[in-house]
Amino acid sequence: MSWLYLGIAVIFEVAVGIFAGKAQGFTELWWTVATLASGAAATFFLSLALLTFDVGVGYAIWTSVAGVGIVVIGALFLGQRLDLRKALGIAVVIGGVVGLQLSGAA
Amino acid sequence: MNTPTTGPTAPADGSTDRKTGPWLMLLLAGVFEVGYALSVAGSEGFTVLAWSASAIVFFLLTLFFLSVALKAIDVGIGYAVWAGIGAVGAALLGPVFFDEVLTPVRAFWLAVIIGGVVWLKLSDSVTVRGTRATA
Repeated sequence: MSWLYLGIAVIFEVAVGIFAGKAQGFTELWWTVATLASGAAATFFLSLALLTFDVGVGYAIWTSVAGVGIVVIGALFLGQRLDLRKALGIAVVIGGVVGLQLSGAA
Repeated sequence: MNTPTTGPTAPADGSTDRKTGPWLMLLLAGVFEVGYALSVAGSEGFTVLAWSASAIVFFLLTLFFLSVALKAIDVGIGYAVWAGIGAVGAALLGPVFFDEVLTPVRAFWLAVIIGGVVWLKLSDSVTVRGTRATA
């Protein structure tokens, strides 16, 4: 269940990253509202995940996997480049999360 | 606060004075992000009032300071520093505030994950890319 909460929190945090970009330094009202609403939802689900996960672990996974999600969504839908350098970063983050879980340290 | 007008001889890439402010804002945003992470954890699903209020205040502070800092600092570098401070701070201070342990194995994998996201954010940096391209 904690992984599910963390996953939902990640999805909302990806939305925060994308909406914040559209908000143009928070000058665009509705993108700013969308950013804050997504941020609130992300925060709430993160808090549920952190009932189980230690904060150091849960927060690192949350922010990093969201970073991966923002790059992937950007490449798939927003016409941003996904080059070898970014692919390496994505692989390292995912490898780290898997390693953390498999080592039993999560 | 009145900042002295930069003369025509000031370097085009910005003087030390003009760069210090935004970087200070960015470091503060990172510190507030650590406060946010710890508060969200302490709120226990937003059932503890004081930690919940603290989480909301830190959330608004980190967002505000980050957005101001990113007006002057390269977005990729800014996000990398901010995310790095937040995640490292949460990992180091979690055991101070809560019943957590940072074992060597856990520290290793957290370092991998945080290194990966910092690298990823830096990949968005115009400055880093520009430097590499002309090197």
